[in-house]
Amino acid sequence: MSRTFILALGIFLTIASSITGLVIIPNWQFKALQPIVKLDGTRYPEPYFGEQAKGREIYINQGCIYCHTQQVRMKGYGADIRRGWGTRRSVPRDYLMDRPHQLGTMRTGPDLASIGARQPSAEWHALHLYNPQITSPGSVMPRFEYFFREVYDGEVIPNDAVKIPRGRQASNATHIVPTDRGRAVIAYLKRLNQSYPLPEANQ
Amino acid sequence: MIAQPLPPAIGPEFEARVEVDGSSRAVVVLFWGTSLLWLTVASLAGIISSIKLHSPDFLGGIEWLTFGRIRAVHWDTAIYGFGGLAASGTLLWLQARLCQVRLPYRNLLLVGGVVFNIGILLGVIGILMGQSTGVETLEFPLWAMPLLVVPYVFIVIANFTMYFKKVTKHTYVSQWYLMAVTVWFPILVLSAEACTNLGAVDGVAQAIANWWYGHNVVGLFATPTGIAAAYYLIPKVIGKPIHSYHLSLLGFWSNAIFYNWAGTHHLTGGPLPAWTITLGVVGSLMMFIPVITIGINHHMTMLGSFHLLKTSPTLRFAVMGSMVYTLSSFQGSLEALRSHQEVTHFTHYTIGHVHFGMYGFFAPLMFAMMYYGMPRLMDQEWSSARLIRIHFWCTLVGMLIYVFAMCYAGIRQGLMMNDPAVPFLNIVRFTIPYLGLRTLGGVILLSGTIAFLINFIRIITPHKYTWATPTLLDSERDWRKVVAKEKEQ
Amino acid sequence: MFIWSFALISGITMVWLLAWAIRRGEFQNMREGARMIFDDQEPAGLVTDHFPGEPR
Ligand code: HEC
Repeated sequence: MSRTFILALGIFLTIASSITGLVIIPNWQFKALQPIVKLDGTRYPEPYFGEQAKGREIYINQGCIYCHTQQVRMKGYGADIRRGWGTRRSVPRDYLMDRPHQLGTMRTGPDLASIGARQPSAEWHALHLYNPQITSPGSVMPRFEYFFREVYDGEVIPNDAVKIPRGRQASNATHIVPTDRGRAVIAYLKRLNQSYPLPEANQ
Repeated sequence: MIAQPLPPAIGPEFEARVEVDGSSRAVVVLFWGTSLLWLTVASLAGIISSIKLHSPDFLGGIEWLTFGRIRAVHWDTAIYGFGGLAASGTLLWLQARLCQVRLPYRNLLLVGGVVFNIGILLGVIGILMGQSTGVETLEFPLWAMPLLVVPYVFIVIANFTMYFKKVTKHTYVSQWYLMAVTVWFPILVLSAEACTNLGAVDGVAQAIANWWYGHNVVGLFATPTGIAAAYYLIPKVIGKPIHSYHLSLLGFWSNAIFYNWAGTHHLTGGPLPAWTITLGVVGSLMMFIPVITIGINHHMTMLGSFHLLKTSPTLRFAVMGSMVYTLSSFQGSLEALRSHQEVTHFTHYTIGHVHFGMYGFFAPLMFAMMYYGMPRLMDQEWSSARLIRIHFWCTLVGMLIYVFAMCYAGIRQGLMMNDPAVPFLNIVRFTIPYLGLRTLGGVILLSGTIAFLINFIRIITPHKYTWATPTLLDSERDWRKVVAKEKEQ
Repeated sequence: MFIWSFALISGITMVWLLAWAIRRGEFQNMREGARMIFDDQEPAGLVTDHFPGEPR
């Protein structure tokens, strides 16, 4: 065996062993995981479809992941649960349908793993996404005003319009109407909910 | 200071070196030059995202410039545009020099360099248009990836060809690292893409694959290239062989074995099997071995030559890089500890650490490589010593401001986040002045880069500067004149 | 458990590899390797970089 060959082989083995140990073995361990059947017959987690799936795509292409995580750490490790970001820690089964994963590593904003349970109001989400300063003054979250159509004073107000609270109106728009994209993101946020007590989360 | 006698400038070894350098000129200058352009783009994107984080209305409401996109552009242009091109240029130049063979497949590599640049440009446009894959560090849309992977294969082939044709009897430490990079990087990219964007695994396993890659692209691509550069430049500039060759062997293999495993510390506390995280923590802690051995080797070699920092630009950057390597690696190993992660994970601290490594260690070593290599490639001096000094001080000061602001703010942010009594918006408000400080650091770094860019443009265009004292290339010029005369006769 | 066996196995492999490498004589001629970056024209002892246009 030549030296070069040994060098190359050694270099190759180092990386091959780590991907086997860290990715392939855990993946094989997760293969057995199935969605759980809840008491009411529905399954958890369910696949994303329709508006939720579209909302997830928007979440990805707007880069929400750079400010938000979707993972709750266990009790006693950090204050995730005490902050009300979840009722239990996240476990691999919660992510069965996630492709690509959106676990995230940065909490410029709060964790969103269970935002659907914590903040079920579509109106709140609409106002917040349209301009975070309306609901959360001092926030550094970007405005996503392009998910909404503005309704100005004197125009006909559609049924699904959300009223901008008085005193928070930056222009003379009085209401906003979510576009398809706006509705999709809100549907996705409302679905994010890890409160179902999976048995393995108590171990 | 002791005056240095110049050795005679004519001889077969010198002739060979000049010829090898000449053969790699076009390719290496293309790689290094475009890497600096990408560094400028990356810095601009970084500054825009930094400003958006304390003044969210800056360029607000423009979809393609929204924080989540410009932030992805910042990191991807930094790691692939600047990192990928600068490291590949370094690899080709150094390997040709150390093997003492002419650079092979020059035209192919030139085309490859251009294609690689186009790939990054298209990837960036893809992200801005909203086609990001959503997998951190692999955001480029899948259709752009072949444009990055295929040129890299040319580089791998050229690297191995040179190694097999090498004239020298021995292998230098730097060469191990360079060989390792070319084996690791393609495997890394291909298997990570397969596991994430091509969907071989999903859910939590995908998150592990993502961070296995995200950590290794720094650890098995940028870091080894930086170490290779330091192993070459420090001894070469001061004219003293490396402190201990045995230690360098130990450092290389322990680095190769342990770094791989460290990535899962990015998911500490996450929904992973506990043992995968423990492996990551063990891997991170074991990194003390290679870091200490490599540190001893670099710093002991420097011992007694620190006065040269005053006169050598290459050495300034190289020593800054190797010192920060030691410091940032210590920081990184400690950061992996569970108790440490409980506070600093998910905060700006991590961002501070990344920039400490990338802009304190990797980038300065690439700059050092360019400061040393360009005059030899272009047969022309750097035109301005002042611009070099500006570049150095901007890099050092900007980096320190940036890292201090982020690490301090990150620790405080983490402590507040772990105290449920503190409202979230108070934490946001607390970080804003530090985020402003970071913008300042970023602007200083960019100013340094622009100074460097000016100097770089001047050195690749013919210029006439006459210095009062002899310069390092005078000996080479004399030799060229002799050869030219001989040919005429 | 897993961790310790993993550490043990990789540790033993490392020691074995080291012993094997020493026996093969990989550690001879080390000094020459370190010196291969120098040559007649840029010998050890020569400082090869300085600011352009300034005294050394
Ligand atoms: C620049 C970082 C940043 C980005 C990007 C970002 N956010 Fe936020 N987000 C924040 C901050 C800071 C807060 C906390 C203050 C607030 O409520 O606005 C927040 C809060 C939230 C909340 C309320 C959480 C709670 O507990 O009340 C939701 C929901 C949310 N963001 C959704 C999103 C979505 C969806 C996206 C992508 C379309 C996104 N964010 C992008 C920073 C960001």
